[in-house]
Amino acid sequence: MFKEYKTILPYLKKYRLFYGLGIFFLVVVDAAQVFIPRLIKKAVDVVADGGYVMADVIKPALLMIGLMAFIAVGRYFWRYFIIGASRRIEAELRNKLFGHLMEMSSDFFQDNKTGDLMARATNDMNAVRQSIGMGFVSFVDGIFMSSLILIAMISDNASVALYTVLPLPLVTVLILFFGRLVGRQFKRVQEVYSKLSDIAQETISGMRVVKAFVKEKYFSARFSETNDSYRDVTMDLVKTFGLFFPLISFLAGLSTAILVLAGGGAVIANKMSPGDIIAMIAYLEMLIWPMMGAGFTVNLIQRGTASLKRINEVLNRKSAIVEALDATDVPPSGDLEVRDLEYSYSKDGAKVLQAINFKVGEGETLGILGRVGCGKSTLIKLLPRLLDPGPEKVFFGGKDSSSYRLSALRSVFGFVPQESFLFSASVKANILFGVEECPDERFQALSRIASLDRDISLFPNGWDTIVGERGLTLSGGQKQRIAIARALALDPRILVMDDALSAVDAETEERILQSLLLERKGRTNILVSHRVSTLRHADRILVLDSGKMLQYGSHEELMKDKKGFYAEIARLQELETELCADSPDSPGSAGSAACAEEGR
Amino acid sequence: MAEFFETDDVTKGYDSTIASRILSYMKPHRGIAIAALLALIVSTAGELLSPVLIRRAIDDALMKTWFSVSVSVEDSPEAAALKLSESDPRIGDRIYMRSSRFSALSAKEKTSLAASGAFDTREVYVFPLKPEQEGQAALLSARPELFTIGTEYGVISIEALRGLPSAEARALRQADSALVLRYVLILGMILLAILASTFVMVYFSNLLGLRVMKDIRMQLFGHVLSRSFAFLNKQPVGRLVTRMTSDVETINQFFTDVLSAFIKDASIMAGALAVLYFFDVRLALVVTASLPIVLIAANVARKKARDAFRNQRRWTSKVNSYISEHISGVEVVKLFRREKKSKTEFSEHNENLKKANLGEMYVFAAFRPAVDFMATFTTALSLCAGAWLYLSQSISLGTLIAFVNLISMFYSPIKDLSEKYILLQSAMAGGERIFTLLDADETIPDKPSLPMPSRIRGHIEFDKVWFAYKEEEWVLKDLSFTMEPGQMVAIVGYTGAGKTTIANLVTRFWDIQKGEIRIDGLPVKELPLQGLRTKIQPVPQEVFLFSGTIAENIRLGEDVSLERMKLAAEAVHANEFIDALPDKYDTQLSEGGSNISQGQRQLLSFARVLAHEPSIIILDEATSSVDTETEKLIQRGIEGLLAGRTSIVIAHRLSTIRHADKIIVLAKGRIAEMGKHDELIKRRGLYWNLYRLQNSGLV
Repeated sequence: MFKEYKTILPYLKKYRLFYGLGIFFLVVVDAAQVFIPRLIKKAVDVVADGGYVMADVIKPALLMIGLMAFIAVGRYFWRYFIIGASRRIEAELRNKLFGHLMEMSSDFFQDNKTGDLMARATNDMNAVRQSIGMGFVSFVDGIFMSSLILIAMISDNASVALYTVLPLPLVTVLILFFGRLVGRQFKRVQEVYSKLSDIAQETISGMRVVKAFVKEKYFSARFSETNDSYRDVTMDLVKTFGLFFPLISFLAGLSTAILVLAGGGAVIANKMSPGDIIAMIAYLEMLIWPMMGAGFTVNLIQRGTASLKRINEVLNRKSAIVEALDATDVPPSGDLEVRDLEYSYSKDGAKVLQAINFKVGEGETLGILGRVGCGKSTLIKLLPRLLDPGPEKVFFGGKDSSSYRLSALRSVFGFVPQESFLFSASVKANILFGVEECPDERFQALSRIASLDRDISLFPNGWDTIVGERGLTLSGGQKQRIAIARALALDPRILVMDDALSAVDAETEERILQSLLLERKGRTNILVSHRVSTLRHADRILVLDSGKMLQYGSHEELMKDKKGFYAEIARLQELETELCADSPDSPGSAGSAACAEEGR
Repeated sequence: MAEFFETDDVTKGYDSTIASRILSYMKPHRGIAIAALLALIVSTAGELLSPVLIRRAIDDALMKTWFSVSVSVEDSPEAAALKLSESDPRIGDRIYMRSSRFSALSAKEKTSLAASGAFDTREVYVFPLKPEQEGQAALLSARPELFTIGTEYGVISIEALRGLPSAEARALRQADSALVLRYVLILGMILLAILASTFVMVYFSNLLGLRVMKDIRMQLFGHVLSRSFAFLNKQPVGRLVTRMTSDVETINQFFTDVLSAFIKDASIMAGALAVLYFFDVRLALVVTASLPIVLIAANVARKKARDAFRNQRRWTSKVNSYISEHISGVEVVKLFRREKKSKTEFSEHNENLKKANLGEMYVFAAFRPAVDFMATFTTALSLCAGAWLYLSQSISLGTLIAFVNLISMFYSPIKDLSEKYILLQSAMAGGERIFTLLDADETIPDKPSLPMPSRIRGHIEFDKVWFAYKEEEWVLKDLSFTMEPGQMVAIVGYTGAGKTTIANLVTRFWDIQKGEIRIDGLPVKELPLQGLRTKIQPVPQEVFLFSGTIAENIRLGEDVSLERMKLAAEAVHANEFIDALPDKYDTQLSEGGSNISQGQRQLLSFARVLAHEPSIIILDEATSSVDTETEKLIQRGIEGLLAGRTSIVIAHRLSTIRHADKIIVLAKGRIAEMGKHDELIKRRGLYWNLYRLQNSGLV
């Protein structure tokens, strides 16, 4: 069970001073706390015996106040040290986890869904923190405090003390028992709760069907049923809870009752002073917490271990894409060549790509055309080793792509992915995502090339407008154009655009292409597109079909093959453009965008 | 994953409008609320009673003492305040009374009594003589010098009593032991009553919370279901789900944790204070005097805690969304070689989160010990004050001890005040979000002026229809066409031409802005919505299957006989795959029907439509590209679905509609061409071009 803790052992060692001081304060506070009832006892006894002067009472009272001030300060410090250490370790562990995630290769993210990884980075992280924070505290506190109190009580009156604490171990047993029961019931509640949420989600997502079939009542009834079962399972949990805490109070009260009975007998028999009873009542109150704590410790550590195991599962995974030991740091240069490339996503899976051969010389532009799912995106992901092409398949300047360090290899690429993923940051930060700094002139030039200059007036805060999940919602075209500027900002040796203008209207597309190609003069480009208007700018065009090369040549060459796929597509698209432009409405940008952008 | 990103902060303070609106949901469950309240009263009373009982046990049994007064002053005005009676024990010329009777006198009365010289302030212990008790008799005869014996009672000085050996003391005080036992038994019963009533309280308050939650959830659910698409399309599904789930949960907490805790804490505090006053006004005043300081401290802590908590929430959500975003965008991070920079940026956010977490820890680390300190401080103060009062014979020891208990009871609710305040805040925030949704009033008006005809022939007419999803961005412009009963009309056009929109208009998922749509000559706006939608069945592009069995997905709660369901499935050739499944129609579909193929899902949705026997079908063909096998499967299904029915087909695959009675080619919201397949092909226009483009497989 404790082997999982290997991961956090170095952190625990690092913060051993925190833990050491924390334990020190915890123990000192415990000792001081145990001393307080003795002071009360003294004061009460002095009073009960009569024949005292006020000074006899004021002295213990002052001492008590001083002690309590000391305890308050001590409590602050054990929290400061132990809880503080747990928070610090949590932060460092989260850093480590995040760093590790950033190192993982694509296959890892296919195996692990974002939601699950998030659960590990949040809920599991919390459980681990609690086990090394409060779990640790209640463990130390429980052992130390309960033994101190027991010693104090027994030294006052052994037999009364033993009778009195009799019900208390039951508290620990109760917590252990109920803890498990509650765990089970809670899981059940969570299940039904997520079912409730699923039904809501499902019904809202399927609203079209619900309304089309006029089934509002049926789905309400379904929802209502799940609500009822949620009520039932929650009430099971409530019954446990409703019994659990009052039962603990009851046991504590029972101890007090026993104390009054046994202690009262002792007082009558002149074996105990009234002060002793008061002190014992105070001790009993103090004992409840360590007794509960013992149960909680077990639960917290159990949960912490399970969660740490889940975190370790991630940390122990190695990236599938590894760098060779002798890999060079020098960025590749020269021709890009692909020889006899084939690829499948899993070992025995179907081949997504087969027998791909092509060569892009420095300063050349390659176009790639193909149907949906023909392997275009896979092909270009293999070039910077986002996916691993395997040895002797992809060459830069005649050297195998695996002979370069990943960072060196990727440094020559500027990528505009198919899904233009932007981060929740300002437009400017997104554009400058891959560069350290950028002179203003250059930035303005980039925004012109990507045709972003005319959008900027639409953004509420100009370039500083936050985009993404919590910011401004951008249109698909705007996102693509920001992604283009982002790639261009790198001034990469090889620019790869994966269908990067699909959401941009034809007019803007042409404008971007013109300025883009001017900017990219003398450098290498790879343009994936299903528009001939884009592809005709390429020196050579590769037509892919079901992972195989169907055609390969220059625009002119391919156009000559009148029966060929490429020429056919070219003719059709020409007609389409004409029809769109000929439409009786004003050909404003919104109108022509409608031809390109997805409808509802 | 909405829970990771819920940014709506808990900045909402107490808001009486929201609170009273939340409370109004209690009305139908008055009985439960009252039961919970009664149980709450019992448990609170019980908790307050236990220290009182312990006090009685100490004063009446353990620390029983007497004073005596001379018979000579029995009728004097000074002694009147002592309320002497015949039943007070008398030995010789002295009358004995419990010392508490003397403590209760005012200082003036005490002085005048003491001045009379007839009063003896030495404490003694009085016991009834019981010769039949061996122990007592033996003690009396063995140590006669300690006792003064009367006819019914004996007296011993307190000092002498305390000096007796255990066995003898016990023998003398048998009555006291019996009394302690009685008190302890009562205490035990009170403890049981607390146990039972607390359970009942927890049970009913949770039941109340759950019932209210269900009411709110059902109201929200019904509300959302009846909103128009104009409203729904603006709302992310995740947000609506959050409203129905976690936001409602905050209201539950309002009932179970905030409201009942508030009532209980308030009554415990008030009760403890009341009992304190009842015991002794002066001591109670000492406690009361400390209250403002504590409340001020609590208020400061509440504000600090709120700020710390808000800070914590802010950074937690920032860090979480940073992680989630970088997992989703991990390829971009890698392509731009941002791993290091992202790690640095993350560790900065993470550092801020750590600081916020530590900030919260500091507040709580300081506040709780501070309240504890205040409690002890007050205890010490009242001990001093009490000792002084005791010294002047004003209070009993039991009172003093009960005080110590009551003070700690008084302070305990303050300790988690800020936690409860935070819960209150989130309930307020949750309530506000829920009520905002409930107050949103965007529906398709359903005020029919015509009854739904029992049979629809199937004549559909679009008369100069103008439609826009958003203001003035016309998707359909002046669209007019008619179709005759039994016909199949196909609508084709490029993406964005407005085809799918047409499917949305006939059954009024959206209302048109200008023009009129008529069914059998009746304007759809004048027909009852439910009737309209039962007779005309749109088949949306996206197949949507619910979790449940195949049969449930076909029936959707409708009373469809097995036979009819099977017929429907056969008509669209869905029976072929259903019969091959081990559980046939009772096969459980996983989420989104992912355990059957895409084509099978389509067929199932066709079967669903046929089982509901609509008069008119509006089929919006799926656009997604599928393999040839699936394509064939779906084609057969569509043929079965449409055979012999009036239908509008929004076609993406032109092969489906070759035999349509009428093909309408839409371009930019207007009709560009209209006619039969062969006519349109011959014309070599838009349709011809579309036809060839689609065969290329690129779109």
